[in-house]
Amino acid sequence: MRTILAQAGKEWAEFHRDRVSVAMAFVLPLASLLMLGYGVRLESKNITLIVEDQDKSFASRTFAERLYATNTLVRGSWKGTVSAEDAMAAGGAKVAIILPPDFSKNLSLGRTAYVQALVDGSDVNTAHVASSVIRGANTFFSRMVESKLPDRSYRVVPKVRIWFNPSCRENLFIVPGVFAIVLWLYPSLLAAVAASREKDQGTVVQVYASGIKPAQFIIGKGLIYVCVGLCEALVIMIFGWLLFGVKPIIEPSAVLLATPIYIMNAVMFGLCLGLRASSQVVAVQAASTAGFFPALLLSGFVYPISNIPFPLSVFSWVVPARYYMEVTRDTFVRGAGWSAIWFDPLILLGFTLLLFIATWLKMRRMQMT
Amino acid sequence: MSVKIIDHFLDSRLWGLIVKETRQTMRNKVLLWLLLFPPTLQLLIIGGTVDPGLHNVKLGIVDYDRSRASRDLIASITSGKVFFATDLVGDDRALGEMIEKSRLGAGLVIPSGFDRDLFRNRKAEVQVLVDGVDVFTANIAKSYLMQLISHYSPSDQAVPSPVKMQLKVIFNPGLRSSWYFVPGILGGVLTLTCTLVSSSVLLREKELGTLEQLLMTPVAAWEILLAKIIPLFFLLMFDVFLAVMIALLVFDVPFRGSIPTFCVASALYVCVGIGLGMMLATVCRTMRQAQLAAFFINIPSIQLSGAVVPYDTMPAVMQQMANFAPLRYYTTVVRSVMLKGAGIELLWPELLLLVIAIVVLWTFNLVRFRRQLS
Repeated sequence: MRTILAQAGKEWAEFHRDRVSVAMAFVLPLASLLMLGYGVRLESKNITLIVEDQDKSFASRTFAERLYATNTLVRGSWKGTVSAEDAMAAGGAKVAIILPPDFSKNLSLGRTAYVQALVDGSDVNTAHVASSVIRGANTFFSRMVESKLPDRSYRVVPKVRIWFNPSCRENLFIVPGVFAIVLWLYPSLLAAVAASREKDQGTVVQVYASGIKPAQFIIGKGLIYVCVGLCEALVIMIFGWLLFGVKPIIEPSAVLLATPIYIMNAVMFGLCLGLRASSQVVAVQAASTAGFFPALLLSGFVYPISNIPFPLSVFSWVVPARYYMEVTRDTFVRGAGWSAIWFDPLILLGFTLLLFIATWLKMRRMQMT
Repeated sequence: MSVKIIDHFLDSRLWGLIVKETRQTMRNKVLLWLLLFPPTLQLLIIGGTVDPGLHNVKLGIVDYDRSRASRDLIASITSGKVFFATDLVGDDRALGEMIEKSRLGAGLVIPSGFDRDLFRNRKAEVQVLVDGVDVFTANIAKSYLMQLISHYSPSDQAVPSPVKMQLKVIFNPGLRSSWYFVPGILGGVLTLTCTLVSSSVLLREKELGTLEQLLMTPVAAWEILLAKIIPLFFLLMFDVFLAVMIALLVFDVPFRGSIPTFCVASALYVCVGIGLGMMLATVCRTMRQAQLAAFFINIPSIQLSGAVVPYDTMPAVMQQMANFAPLRYYTTVVRSVMLKGAGIELLWPELLLLVIAIVVLWTFNLVRFRRQLS
């Protein structure tokens, strides 16, 4: 025990002498919280639209007005000298509507009037939203036309209720996810750099010579970064409350229990990579490739896990951020309590132990040779 | 004449330095590994996983009516690939519980008397429940369901609509998300590699103290920097080539635009990336500081580039900030060239802004580097 504390003390002395790194350890998580919290917006708003009205009649103008009245579509930039498709290629608009010259004539004769819509498919999400918005506007316009005719249509009216986050506040979705990403990235990064630094500078040989046991070395080193991670957790959760209004809606015991386990998991991951990496740069690249990207992309942070296709979806099972995110989203948004998430802290604990064993084996092997 | 210039150049100190640095770089197995392996893996993960579409949403259905009309409605909703119905749920309490435990993404309750209302009053109501925790899925699921339901009419009673819309998706007709994300994140992956690798190259000499030895020689500061940059530049350009190959061969992303425009833009952006890395190296004192500080550059620039979140949907403040992120311009170029077939005539403003970014960054670096040396 005393050896562990001594090792921790040495690590702390080394870490806090580097003032810039200490400052960054706290400023970076906060900056990431602000960046991701304010920056990730999922609702597609302000989709640019241009209308090529070849009819120039009252009906076609009404149709165009209907589109702009949706609050989602805004006027794009188009000089009219190039074709609508070229204007879209230049980035002037995401959607183009072409109203043919016989639009109003067909309508007044009771024939079907055709409208052509071009949607920029490069951004899949925006394309989906834009298509459904213009289809909706079209339905609305059709009903306006129909209302002059005898009503022959049947209507099923959906009454939609959204649960848990009725106003669809994006903060409530994003911020608990950011907690998971930030608390994975920075503790693991600091631990990875710390472990690989000993190797880089050759001081790890002194460690072997000192007779400290591998487990003591790992725990002692990790302890400091777990503490730093816990402070980071405190900081970002307080700011999440103050800036984004994300606060626990049920008693927070699940988060209080899962956070230390999760941070231990991250630190173990960092130490494991750091001891295997041959230099600090490699350790950081490995931590960001194997840690940051999966935590960002395979955890269900923005895009649902169910969308990940089969062979890669297997990887998402071993992304700890996914399980921690379930806990934070439950405590901060859903409020179902322990019955829905009791297994998540257990899985995290399992990962932590596995990584500890892997680090320990590696350390022991290094000491032997 | 030109031969003489080449001869002169081959005799110069600069050429000697470049040869030395190139040899040193090629010997550095770790550096080569860093340049090739992580970007490839990152692109593969991103292209293979990120899919903002909506598939396989589990829809729980409570059908109190059990009539022909209600079955018809259920069939019209679940016939697409978006919603698949789990077994019928007993009552709405059970449905609520299943949504709460996130076993279902959405629920539909058809009240008794649905069939009667629809045919007598020509209007009937159904209830839709959506799990709002995942705002992203909730929004799309909501609008999909509403569209499906309000467009529904009993199969034998379909009424022709007076206005028919022919919807055509261009640039990415199959709506494949990898076509959007792979060209988008290409610049982001490049930035990550550029900053980490180029800062480490310079800081290594600083930490080992070999920089002082170089300074004792009669070479100028800019020559030292340039000689370090040139081999890196070619390796990073190879990275770009590799990334484009992955995009084309693994993800079938089309390359519709002009190759020269793309190459010029990539070369300019690699210079920006190296400039950013060198800036880290001149500002930071140790490798650890530089590695941490790299995240100060990388996370915001990937965030602001429009690679993940489109520029148009960012809040106004973020758009202002994004205008200062060089990555944003490069991402625009890559996407426009590959997907939309754009060329220099449309993209010259972006290229010009990249040149400005290079001039600013490199002037800053050179001034700082000189000051540190004296």
